[in-house]
Amino acid sequence: MLLDAAGIWFAYGLFAHDGALVATILLIVIAVINAAFLLDVLNPLRWIVPGLALMVLFVLYPVVNTLGVALTNYGNGHLLTKEQAITQFEGQYYSPPGAPTYAWRAYRAPDDTFLLWLTDTQGRSYIGDPKTGITPTAGDDPRFGPKDDDGLPKTIGKYSKLSRLEIFPYLSTLQSFTLQAPEGILRIVSLDAAPVALHKYTYDRARDVLVDHQSGAEYQSIDGVFTARDGSELSPGFSASIGLRNFVRAFTDPDVRGPFFSVFLWTVAFGFLSVLLTFSLGLGLALVVNDHRLPFVGAFRALSIVPYAVPGFISALVWVGLLNPFYGQFNALLSTLTGVSPQWFSDPTLAKIAILLVNLWLGYPYMLLISLGALQSIPGELFEAASMDGATGLQRFRFITLPLILVALGPLLIGSFAFNFNNFALIDLVTGGGPPIPGTSQPAGATDILISYTVRLAFTGGQGGRGVDYGFAAAISVFIFLIIAAITMVNFRFSRQLEQVSENL
Amino acid sequence: MTSLKKFMMTAAAALIVSACSTPAAVPPATPTAAPPTATATTAVAASPTPTPTIKPVVSKEGTLTIWVDGSRTKMVTDLGKKFTDKYKVAVQVQELGFGDIRDQLKIAGPAKEGPDIIIGAHDWLGELVSNGLLLNLDLGGKASSVDPVAIKAFTYDGKLYGLPYLVEAISLIYNKDFVPTPPKTWDELKAMAKQLQDDKKVEQGYVMQQGDPYHTEPLLTGFGGYIFGRDAAGNYNAKDLGLDSPGGIAAYTEIDNMIKSGLLRKDTTYDLMLGLFKEKKSAMFISGPWTLNDLRTAKVNYGIAPIPTMKSTAKPFVGAQGWMVSAFGKNQLLAKTFLTEFVATDEAMQSLYDAVPAASAWLPVRNKTTDKDILAFAASAAGGDPMPAIPQMSSVWEAWGKAITLIFQQQEKPDKAVKDAATTIRAKIGQ
Repeated sequence: MLLDAAGIWFAYGLFAHDGALVATILLIVIAVINAAFLLDVLNPLRWIVPGLALMVLFVLYPVVNTLGVALTNYGNGHLLTKEQAITQFEGQYYSPPGAPTYAWRAYRAPDDTFLLWLTDTQGRSYIGDPKTGITPTAGDDPRFGPKDDDGLPKTIGKYSKLSRLEIFPYLSTLQSFTLQAPEGILRIVSLDAAPVALHKYTYDRARDVLVDHQSGAEYQSIDGVFTARDGSELSPGFSASIGLRNFVRAFTDPDVRGPFFSVFLWTVAFGFLSVLLTFSLGLGLALVVNDHRLPFVGAFRALSIVPYAVPGFISALVWVGLLNPFYGQFNALLSTLTGVSPQWFSDPTLAKIAILLVNLWLGYPYMLLISLGALQSIPGELFEAASMDGATGLQRFRFITLPLILVALGPLLIGSFAFNFNNFALIDLVTGGGPPIPGTSQPAGATDILISYTVRLAFTGGQGGRGVDYGFAAAISVFIFLIIAAITMVNFRFSRQLEQVSENL
Repeated sequence: MTSLKKFMMTAAAALIVSACSTPAAVPPATPTAAPPTATATTAVAASPTPTPTIKPVVSKEGTLTIWVDGSRTKMVTDLGKKFTDKYKVAVQVQELGFGDIRDQLKIAGPAKEGPDIIIGAHDWLGELVSNGLLLNLDLGGKASSVDPVAIKAFTYDGKLYGLPYLVEAISLIYNKDFVPTPPKTWDELKAMAKQLQDDKKVEQGYVMQQGDPYHTEPLLTGFGGYIFGRDAAGNYNAKDLGLDSPGGIAAYTEIDNMIKSGLLRKDTTYDLMLGLFKEKKSAMFISGPWTLNDLRTAKVNYGIAPIPTMKSTAKPFVGAQGWMVSAFGKNQLLAKTFLTEFVATDEAMQSLYDAVPAASAWLPVRNKTTDKDILAFAASAAGGDPMPAIPQMSSVWEAWGKAITLIFQQQEKPDKAVKDAATTIRAKIGQ
């Protein structure tokens, strides 16, 4: 019921805001869900349908949509749709030689129709009426009321004069007010001027050509830009389909391909090492705090989860400060103790270590938590039996704890790998991808992972405006999606193998 | 194009943007940026008869919708109320993060969900105009009341695309307790900085942020370099890149030498630069009027002086901010008229200045300004060049910043770093 109400309310809003198609789809989905719940025949679908609907909305739709965008040049210079670009061009005017510009005053009737009082540069006055066009005024026009201070009649028939102050609420109506004049079309362009002008461009739909009436040039639509025969282009362009060119560019453009390999290697290494390090520390600490012989075990447990309680963004930024070679406390401590002050953000290797260090801090509490849970679920008898057989502590860990924990946690570890694979926020906050790789023309840094490199390429982060290229970014996203999908497949394979391990035990 | 397709396009863009959007990690990233503010949506409907709307932010016929950043919400809302009282037209003010105004306009504008008017920086022009998102504006006779530098800044391809209302540029900021008289030349500045460091009065005599091209522009021009040359008409010529001209190389060799001699330090962020000055651990830095609030609250005995002369007079980048009209608003005539008839007046410009003090681009207001800090920054702007607004500027910033970072981090020789950057930029602009 609630869903229905919300859905219908949304649909109503969409209809009101020119989104009829989306609204229709929404109503159909609601109808299907209702049918599944109300019709006995569709009973089995009852629990799947809402999930399916959400899957389509949040998984399939973005994937399909990204694919669609990847086939276009949607981006800087091509933000508009073709229709919007054409509308803009057709809204441009030019003044032919000799076309007059009038000063204007508006008269409004109670039914919101308007007359214009036009004065040309020689001081002659005309009345502009949408029905009769522009006609010279006659001094003895019977419709004229008494004159005001400007010498203009206060009323013309049912129309009464609007002062400069009163005109403002009607400007949005008057901006589409046009009159046919012999020389062209009269439009209002400002409070003082109403020039007569001609359409500069018209679009010939049949030939897909934009014609410039002022110069006579014709512009063909080529890859989202109206281009003349001599190669000159009209701005703005529009989004157009360019086939697989974005994908081809990802492989062939030296700008993109250049550091791609090293970035890819570091991405994999970063994901793998992050999981290995956080899991090792998390599991190690879990083993310690899981031991009830430890004093103050509760306090230890609470303390070791502290990093989890602080928002990751803040921790990352704090670490950037701590690691500053001149002013950072971490480095101050290190140089007091050991006499070295590592250049965390200048040296490529040290920068990588710094990233891993910060990620270790951010990631181990999660591993600790899930390891603790998994440890509790291992039956105690197994350890007793092992002890009876004379197994050492290390052997018990190697042959009982680790395999059993991996069964439970394997999928989570691979999930964590996939997450770190795309851990844009961490890289961006801690090093911003830097230090830059010298000697290349690409905006890639030593700690850039695929996603941060992509963002830099596609959005060219930095000052004064970003050169967005949604189409290209979407193509790269598709590649990353494929890589993550492959990892997920491995994940399923891996967890199945581990299940076999647990069956064998 | 169907509305579904439109919706999909917008959603896709929004998805990509939201998936990859960078949190405000580098506050001074946009040189002309107002302090970064969190995006809040407070729609203030000044309409006498408030009508219930689903999205109270979209341009709708008969109501002016203006997008501004948090630092200007109150000022524009107040101005809007005055306009409503006088002209009986409702004004809605929508608050967005400064950079979000530009980014959202690109998505919301074509989807017909944008504003009528935005307030932003002139260096957005290249991107917004080349995408057909702005309308050009004719100030008529009023143009003579506006600072010519600001008019130049808001002119793109020979047309004016905004009503400027403030100009800003960076200047030398110094602590009077350490530096009784500000240095006139760059050599004096270095000598003073070294003396202060040797006397252990401060940690750093002079501080410069690492890898930030904007703050090194005075050095670049002071040593005879430039970013873009000018054509005969005085417009920037993107084909004439002066980053690796002899002067440009000299400028970045100077930075390299200062790092080697301990006068500059790597890994200095904007926050660190400001923080050191506020804690009296540094004596001088070069930055803009957006630091004034911090300086005034920090109880530092600061002064503002012109940037010291190097081989020639340093020319900082000038940023202008102003009002622009969206090409996708529903009230284009009204919006233009609002700007030319109501905002471009002494009264409105004065109230803008009173709300947020900054060097006004409206000369009658500037001539009445008495705040000496603001006048000092305005003087610096008067001697500067408008920041180029060509759409390729983002690649320029990127490659240029990378070169400076490499020099700061001593990973590459200055001449090589600068030449590499110039090669990259030429390739991007040639595209």
